[in-house]
Amino acid sequence: MISLAYSFILLPIINSAFIFLVPKRRGELFRPLSIFLSLIPLGLCLYMFINQDLKTSFVVVDSISWISAYGIDLIIGFSGMSFLLISLNCLLVLLSILSVNQDHGSSKGFLGSIMLLQGSVNGVFLAGDLISLFIFFEALLIPMYFLMGIWGGENKRYATIKFILYTVFGSIFILAGTIYTGVLSFQSSGTFALDFDSIANISMTSNQSKVLFLLFTFGFLIKVPLFPLHTWLPDAHVEAPTAGSILLAGVLLKVGAYGILRVSIPFFTEGFLEYQFLIAFLSVFGIIYGAIVAIVQIDIKKLIAYSSISHMGFVMLGISAGRYLSLEGAVIQMINHGITSGALFMLVGFLYDRRHTRRISDFGGLKKSMPLYAGIFLFTSFASIGLPGLNGFVGEFMILMGSFPSFKILSSIAAFGVVLAAIYMLWAYQRIFNGQLDNDENAVLTDLNSKELVAVVPLLILMLFIGVYPSFVESYIVNDVSIIYDAINSLSGVLE
Amino acid sequence: MRAIADAIGFNLVVISPTITLVLTALILLFFTITIESNEKVKQVITFSGVVSTIFCVFLKFGLFLQNGVSSYFSKKILLDEFSLFGNVLIGLILLFNILPIWDSSSQLREKTTEAIILTLMSTSGFMLMVDSENLIMLFIGLEIGSISLYALAGLNRVDKLSNEASLKYFLLGSLASCIFIYGVSLVYVSFSVLSVYDFATGVGFVGADSVPLTTKLGVILIFIGLLFKIAAAPFQSWAPDVYQGSPTGYVGYMASIAKASAFIVIARLCQVSLRFMPNEFDSFFLLVVILSVIIGSFFASVQDDLKRLLAYSGVVQSGFILSGIVSGINGTSASMFYLFAYIIQLIGIFVIFSIINGKMSSNFNIQDIQGLIINNKFLAVTFCTFMLGLAGIPLTSGFVSKFILLTNLWAYQKYLLVSILLLSTVAGFYFYLKPIWIATIEKTETPVQNFKIKRSEYLLISSLATMTIFFGLVPSSLINISRWVVQSYL
Repeated sequence: MISLAYSFILLPIINSAFIFLVPKRRGELFRPLSIFLSLIPLGLCLYMFINQDLKTSFVVVDSISWISAYGIDLIIGFSGMSFLLISLNCLLVLLSILSVNQDHGSSKGFLGSIMLLQGSVNGVFLAGDLISLFIFFEALLIPMYFLMGIWGGENKRYATIKFILYTVFGSIFILAGTIYTGVLSFQSSGTFALDFDSIANISMTSNQSKVLFLLFTFGFLIKVPLFPLHTWLPDAHVEAPTAGSILLAGVLLKVGAYGILRVSIPFFTEGFLEYQFLIAFLSVFGIIYGAIVAIVQIDIKKLIAYSSISHMGFVMLGISAGRYLSLEGAVIQMINHGITSGALFMLVGFLYDRRHTRRISDFGGLKKSMPLYAGIFLFTSFASIGLPGLNGFVGEFMILMGSFPSFKILSSIAAFGVVLAAIYMLWAYQRIFNGQLDNDENAVLTDLNSKELVAVVPLLILMLFIGVYPSFVESYIVNDVSIIYDAINSLSGVLE
Repeated sequence: MRAIADAIGFNLVVISPTITLVLTALILLFFTITIESNEKVKQVITFSGVVSTIFCVFLKFGLFLQNGVSSYFSKKILLDEFSLFGNVLIGLILLFNILPIWDSSSQLREKTTEAIILTLMSTSGFMLMVDSENLIMLFIGLEIGSISLYALAGLNRVDKLSNEASLKYFLLGSLASCIFIYGVSLVYVSFSVLSVYDFATGVGFVGADSVPLTTKLGVILIFIGLLFKIAAAPFQSWAPDVYQGSPTGYVGYMASIAKASAFIVIARLCQVSLRFMPNEFDSFFLLVVILSVIIGSFFASVQDDLKRLLAYSGVVQSGFILSGIVSGINGTSASMFYLFAYIIQLIGIFVIFSIINGKMSSNFNIQDIQGLIINNKFLAVTFCTFMLGLAGIPLTSGFVSKFILLTNLWAYQKYLLVSILLLSTVAGFYFYLKPIWIATIEKTETPVQNFKIKRSEYLLISSLATMTIFFGLVPSSLINISRWVVQSYL
């Protein structure tokens, strides 16, 4: 039954082929059809959730021989963490298609690209060897290139090229690491086998482990992104269409952190122990830097983009601390950030569709014309800040708590990130929604309609659900986190 | 050194592809100048000639199974895995290109078949070149092949750029031939042999340390002559002008055939003759590879003409292929895979170019493909496939070839080379994505139009694109073939 994992890659590709086959003159069909089609992978998630024990560590589902002469196989595997991220991906794809405006909803290229993106991101989460991981990691650039390039904003060419070149620059390090691992694998076993089991059995010296850790981690950190490798993110977010932003913040940033958790730390633990302080330092710097820069932004989307840098800094802090609690917190924060920032970008998209501007100073007093919208925005902001009872609190609390024994000063500084988050989110809320409704254009804005509510409400429910019942998420990641933690713990000898 | 079966002497099967090609060309010439015949007859002659050439290559496989690696005509012609691989590759290049070349010759003012005749002649020359064991034989093959290419480049007589391309190609090509033959003479002076195997035996006999300097210089000069044909820097200066000036319908053929055969000859020379001189020429080749990759990437990034861009991208790709060939036997096998994948993508790109740009035109500004996606989705999608294949994105054969090549280089501990090649991949993404952006994304009022695409061209392009994707998804078979090519040297 778990072999259904294949379909998370194949279904979106088939779906997008299906969309491309519908004749262009039936433009009104594209949106309903793609909503229906993207329900299928989500339904599959639900089906597996009900019928299956998914709280596993990484299990290999199937392998195909790719280059037999080199002994390289392509492997698909599955774990609880993968399942959560895939469900998040499938949900966000459905919701972002629900939330698209008329312009994008009538373009089959747009909807098809989103589904291709969904397939390749799922591929990254299911990859059971370094080659398939790399293939899907790079393949997701193609749909993203067209999504940002064709449907992006005014400065899209610059942002798209920057995004692609940054990612490709990172991925050559991953490719170099993959090749190096293959050669090491050849030296110890006689084949270039790159599946996770074989890599775990490679005997490597501590220097090799450090080099490999740096190669992989650098590549993944560009995708996270960690300060100072983050500069592509604000440009990409501002220029990407709303659905692209939702997926970029919601799942694409998770790909980097996932890679570090799946590859860098378990296989190259010695390297991790060597550089964990450096990563923690940069993460904390990113938390504070992202938050401070977010405060002074005049564009709402850019503000949320910088807040993403701050939030992903928390994730990286939790990972780099290497404690059980902080690792768990990091994974939960990954999910949380996907939900919260996805919702925020969606809300900003709704506003942009109505008003065609994202400048904070153009708004004011929107609470009066759009009360429901204001309420939802405030709720999401609270989740993003980390108000107890909502999801953001759980992750950040676990991360700060867990990383305190490792990095006392750094995690104390990081705690200020939460305060800064309250400043930039609430101040932005105040400027947009409170005050006088003095602009006529703002006065006539209509509140959210039922279609838009359907798109955003599931995310709100999830925010509340994870906030009050985090052990549900935790139960899925326990096995994954234990393996990572054991790898670190057996080497460092530090007991919790 | 591996044993070669005794020279068997006179055997027509081993040169049958060359003979078939020459005969076809002569019959076609005869029909063209004497009997007033219609297009149909010439078409039938040409295509039956191409098909029987490929049949002859199969005959050679039979001979190979019977005799193994063997030499013929008193050590002039060699039958080994490299020559078979080269024959198949050249046969495929001819097969894939004969259609665009046929169409373009009907656009000439006189509507003659001289382009076809020149193509068949040059193919026969290059067939001979990959078969030759003797350095003089190699030179003859190279010249027969190249002279026809010089003429092809200048076939559009009314176009000044085409004339310039032809003259430039001819002058610099002759210079390269001079350098090559001078190198041969230097090698002959010290060992009195011309066979590549005898040369290796001679080197093994005197010992690599006591090989005279003049001989080493001779070997370098021979390689310079060949590196010229693959447009590796710093011998690349002809390539952009020739690519740009030559009629677009011919460039795919001209570029691919010269590269394919020169690379196979270089690979064989490296494996046969240089095995006994380890590390002697490493720094020379390292310099050539690094220069090719850097110069190619840099100049490709600033081109406004698509054909020039492809020329410089070819310089980069040559650097990649060469790096594998000169680093060892497994690298050579990876390079053979790379060569095959690259040739397929190159032909595909130029078939598309010849459709959009017109078969006989020279300049092809990058803005001329603006809005291709609006006018013809098929061409736009396949164009993206080939470009992404050249860039080396996963799911295309370009990624597999880069991956196995770099893996082998890393296993040879050539870390500097691997880092430079990886960095050039990033630059590659910049200049390969630029045309894709213009063709598919950039908004335009006047999308490219006025081109007709025939059913046969649909078939040709889609089969090339399918091969690009297929060898990216299921590369095992082609990798096994490329390992078979080098197996007897392992």
